[in-house]
Amino acid sequence: MDPSKYNQAEQEQIRALIEQKQVSDFMNLFTGLTDRCFKECAYDFRTKAVTGREAACVQKCADRFLKHSERVSTRFAELSEAVSRTIFYVVRKIEFIY
Amino acid sequence: MSYFGGGNQQAQTINPQNIAMAEQELEMVTDLFNRIVDSCQEKCIKLGEGQGDLNQQDSLCIDNCVAKFFETNSKVGEKMQNMSQQQ
Repeated sequence: MDPSKYNQAEQEQIRALIEQKQVSDFMNLFTGLTDRCFKECAYDFRTKAVTGREAACVQKCADRFLKHSERVSTRFAELSEAVSRTIFYVVRKIEFIY
Repeated sequence: MSYFGGGNQQAQTINPQNIAMAEQELEMVTDLFNRIVDSCQEKCIKLGEGQGDLNQQDSLCIDNCVAKFFETNSKVGEKMQNMSQQQ
């Protein structure tokens, strides 16, 4: 997403769009993570209370997943420039043919 | 005389097509990222085991997984490009 393609007003609107997306992405991360760690860790339904073991598991699970997500994010940033080149090329080709 | 002259006013028109394009690109990139996070977590990370931190094996697996995913993405893109060329 090349900022120089857009004028000032457009850049502002795009910035607002990105911010909005970040909020909804964060919500999705939160709900997804709860889901993941619940599936992984909750197993004792003889009681309402979260057991010590389950709680420790959830802590570990959330920790690991967030660290994983962070690492993917770093590698993604490094590699995604190559991807946008490929996608751009494919889209142009398809446009040309049709 | 205003310092914000007539020329500047014209530069502030928003082309909705540009916005739509940028939005689409943003969607694509976010979707790709989320898919990589999901797939590579399935392939590499046991959430219930190990410590709160990722060990070296986990980290290496993630690096390789992300790289492989991108390359797979490229190969699929090439394939589709070839298919559209043949038509």
